[in-house]
Amino acid sequence: MNRTVMIIDDSLFMRKIMRGILVDLGYSVAAEASSGIEAMKNLHTYHPDIILLDIILPDSNGLDLLESIVAACPDSKVVVCSSIGQQLVMQKSLDMGAKAFIQKPFTPEKIAEVLEGLGN
Amino acid sequence: MDMSPYRDLFVSEAHSHLSAFSELLVQLENAPDDSAAINELFRHAHSLKGMGATMGFEQIVGIAHLMENQLSRIRTGEFRLLPALTDLLLEGGDTLSRLVSLIESGSDAFENTAGLAERLAAFDPATASDGRLHTQTPPVPEDTVQETTSQEKVADSHVFRHSDSFKSVRIKTETLDHLVNITGELITHRHRLAESVRLADVATSTSSLNQLAALLRDLRDEVFKARMLPFSTIAERFPRLVRDLARKQGKEVNFQLEGKEIELDRGILEEIADPIVHILRNAVDHGLEPADDRVTAGKPFCGTISLTVRRDKDHLEIVITDDGRGMDPERLKQKAVEKGLITDEQAARMSSPEAYQLVCAPGFSTAVTVTDISGRGVGMDAVHEAVRSLAGVLTIQSQMGQGSSFIMRMPIAISIIHALMVQCGPFEMAFPLNVVTHTAELKRSAIRGTDRCPTIFLDGAELPFKSLRRLFDLPEEYSGMQGELLPAVICEVAGIPTAFSVDRVIGQQEIFVRPLRSPLSHLHGVSGATITGDGRVLFVADVNALA
Repeated sequence: MNRTVMIIDDSLFMRKIMRGILVDLGYSVAAEASSGIEAMKNLHTYHPDIILLDIILPDSNGLDLLESIVAACPDSKVVVCSSIGQQLVMQKSLDMGAKAFIQKPFTPEKIAEVLEGLGN
Repeated sequence: MDMSPYRDLFVSEAHSHLSAFSELLVQLENAPDDSAAINELFRHAHSLKGMGATMGFEQIVGIAHLMENQLSRIRTGEFRLLPALTDLLLEGGDTLSRLVSLIESGSDAFENTAGLAERLAAFDPATASDGRLHTQTPPVPEDTVQETTSQEKVADSHVFRHSDSFKSVRIKTETLDHLVNITGELITHRHRLAESVRLADVATSTSSLNQLAALLRDLRDEVFKARMLPFSTIAERFPRLVRDLARKQGKEVNFQLEGKEIELDRGILEEIADPIVHILRNAVDHGLEPADDRVTAGKPFCGTISLTVRRDKDHLEIVITDDGRGMDPERLKQKAVEKGLITDEQAARMSSPEAYQLVCAPGFSTAVTVTDISGRGVGMDAVHEAVRSLAGVLTIQSQMGQGSSFIMRMPIAISIIHALMVQCGPFEMAFPLNVVTHTAELKRSAIRGTDRCPTIFLDGAELPFKSLRRLFDLPEEYSGMQGELLPAVICEVAGIPTAFSVDRVIGQQEIFVRPLRSPLSHLHGVSGATITGDGRVLFVADVNALA
């Protein structure tokens, strides 16, 4: 069965691009969320295998959200996305339980590589 | 990866980030320590950078990155947001908007952003001027101040530029679904009606017809809803506009905007944006005194301009108020006399509210010095004209030393109106019901006044009297005359009840008003046309022009 993914990003543009790439790679996009509140709601409904989390969201600090997600759904693998120049945040998110990170701008190849590297 | 399918989404999202960015930045100037707002600004710049990078738009990434860097320094408390940096960030936002528009239009034109990038990168709070007023002129090209006596400006000042920013609108899916449902039902009932007509079944035909009428009412309501947009659609740029104007003039303005969530017909929004801008420009330029004068007069250093939108049943009220110097009715009268607009006698009889209205007279406001702030060839006469074309009324209030208010009141929807249908000779005409106060039967013998300015006594008051026959160059005597009695429609024209005699009052009807295109748009006394059930074209009366 395809692995399910939830995309958390406040930008519709980014979500659509990410969705396109994931579908091409054979993943199933179970849900999208544009805010922390929406993310937590969807998390309980869909229990996605993988969560792509954009670290800057309008209603929450991305790291706080990461903490809530890891606590609520320890089985989901969280991959943090952010722009270049955020290395400190990246390191911190790995310490807090994120499994990998993707730097924006991303390519389909980079996403494939990171997601495959997560194992099952 | 082919990014072209995502281009439209990029453009619309980038534009909304940029307009939110500028709006927030202007707000922040009044509360520079609002850390939530600074985070929000940072987020907009950051998102733009990420989106630009994904699409491969390097120029956007470069500028957004530099803006983000400066905001990051403010976020970490390195320094506070200074007016000089606000200027620079606004310029950055404007540049990004232009770059996004270039992408939108598919143009390969190039905008050189190297200078801006350099200034953004080199910004240093220690060397930057503190941006206090009087000390710095922002980098906006300044037109030379010049005298103008140009008459052609008066001639074409009646038409505001029509913006094309409303060419596409977003409609809620829910509204579209309703429209689809109604269309489906209309089709069903149309077939039912055709079938019952074929069978000559009057009872079923009547019931189908009633259903069709009800569905059409629903359809009208839904279409109306779909046309509504919040006032914020046009108002978002006003705080920025007022800020930039004030800074250019070396004035400080506290701009208050109320009621931006109120929804209006997009036709009204389209027409009213430029008049509002004009009044705001006037308020900053002429209304508010220079800061020194204000302090001498015991007023706060910083002037206040407020823009308030209110809804009152079927009417809309837009009020622009400043706490500036106010207008001097005597000076206005004197100027109008000098320009030959009124006589000395008329001036002597004129009340203050009437004197304020003089600023709306064609030729009154255009022949003064033109600065790049106000006076771009559109005067208050064009504002007045625009409000009138929306079946609205412009009222001006002022108090010397206290400030002025410009009040625009107009119906909320313009395309479908209730009208009173009247007959005059071979013509039928529609009087918009919002200007009609009542109908009456006048006695011919009660007509007074001079032949040029007849009046009539009605309910103890003397009203101006107009014969529609005379206005249409029809003979005053006709076969169907009802002896001594003249049917008349009483309308309110600029606050004054005026009687229009007609041959016959037909009745009330809901009509869809279509605008007249050239050459019919030059017809005097009509504001539009409508098509009747039997296919005839009727004109809609413009009572202001007829009176």
